[in-house]
Amino acid sequence: MIELALLLQAGTTGNPNAIGVFRFFVGVFLVFTIYSSFLGFTYWISKDE
Amino acid sequence: MPIGNLDVPVIGKNVVIAVLVQSHILFAAFIIGAVLIAATSEYLGMVTKQNNYERFARNLARFVVLLFASGAALAITFVLALVTLFPVFFSILQNIFFWVFLVEAFMFLGQIIIVYAWYNVWDKLAYRKSLHVVFGFVAGFFGLMAMTMIDAVASFMLTPAEVESQADLVARSFLNQTMVPLNMHRFIGNFSYAGFLIAGWGAWRYLRTTREEEREYYDWMGHFGLIWGFGFLIMQPVIGYGYLKGIRESAPEGFNVIMLGDKSWVFNLLVIWIAIMTIASTAYFVHKLRFTVKPMETLRKLAVGALGFTALFTVLNIIPNDLDLIPQIGLVFLQGEGTEVPLGSMYPWKYIGLIGLMIVGFFVIALYLRATATGFHWGRASRWSQYALMACAVTVVLTMVTMGYTRETARRVDNDPGFLIYECVTLDQKIVGKNCPAHPITEGASE
Repeated sequence: MIELALLLQAGTTGNPNAIGVFRFFVGVFLVFTIYSSFLGFTYWISKDE
Repeated sequence: MPIGNLDVPVIGKNVVIAVLVQSHILFAAFIIGAVLIAATSEYLGMVTKQNNYERFARNLARFVVLLFASGAALAITFVLALVTLFPVFFSILQNIFFWVFLVEAFMFLGQIIIVYAWYNVWDKLAYRKSLHVVFGFVAGFFGLMAMTMIDAVASFMLTPAEVESQADLVARSFLNQTMVPLNMHRFIGNFSYAGFLIAGWGAWRYLRTTREEEREYYDWMGHFGLIWGFGFLIMQPVIGYGYLKGIRESAPEGFNVIMLGDKSWVFNLLVIWIAIMTIASTAYFVHKLRFTVKPMETLRKLAVGALGFTALFTVLNIIPNDLDLIPQIGLVFLQGEGTEVPLGSMYPWKYIGLIGLMIVGFFVIALYLRATATGFHWGRASRWSQYALMACAVTVVLTMVTMGYTRETARRVDNDPGFLIYECVTLDQKIVGKNCPAHPITEGASE
């Protein structure tokens, strides 16, 4: 796990650990969630025009 | 009063910035690319009198107007988060790039005003179409200028110039080593990204609709989007090479991290995305050439050959240099670094792969455009060809996210320390480096 954390370098000050890995994937999840939900919402408000 | 060091619970402040910027850029890049594609489409509709262009341009303009709020809201939230979570770093950036940020704000304002005006006066200027088309291109220009300003800041963070005078501070900071290549890379990328997304959307609608007239329109939309997406994608390797060359010369440690070091796997990931997009696009072209109004069997056979070469060159790009794939998670086979893979070295194989991909790409799109000039029978495309377009749309988003992560992580080097501005400001917002442009502010920040 530590090796994976080092790979992702997700720690704030060069001290990556399991929390860093967790934060990396939370970040990825949030990016795709925000992107798809905002796009979906925009489609929804535009489709009946 | 000292500046507090705020953090965000659970996910940390770095992830907050990354999420906001990555999400914002996925909208911003689409808006810039889509406005210019829509304006071009409107112009083509005016010239050719084909209704598809006009219908597409108007629908896309409406979607952009509605989507603008999401992109802008994320940008404002990002600035708010940056001011709050990285106050010293933000002050440094503001001191160096005050005028650049100011110009960017006005370009953004201009873009909003003109985009809204463009969509709103669509009917009013129906008989002054040339003037209306100009509205679209002006909106696109403002968007490009806003992007140029922020590219100066983003490129400076990775390759800051050495500054010894006030004149240096302005000119060399703005026109730093990687500013122009980054700007070109993003300029081309906007078209490619928006084009692939449009193609994917057209494919999705094509598969969902049952009306013949709609099927014909969405089949055309997929084709039109892919011309933009693939046509601009094949320019990226040479521009990307120029960008990396700038990074290698000005931020060598950062270059080593992303090309040779711990993070070189992100580039392996990138060539996998490129492989998916180029093979799927070429396969779509081959399929589409069956439906030309005038039979073009020779062109189709040539395109089949091009598909074979595309597959060959993408495989050359994907083959790793050695079996030390991702050592941090144990992806090491045989003797790892000591086991070199045949055809895996950068020189000459990767160069052959990249150059070959570009040449074949130009060849196949020239064939396709030649066929486009005679026309297609729309609405007959197979389901699989539409899946190929949708695969391109998903993959281009992954490419954007991967590349954004790559550029920003290059500044972390070995995390000992990582940098916000390369060799100038650390992740802890401490100022280092004797030629750092932020040096004069050091005393002020520490008081």
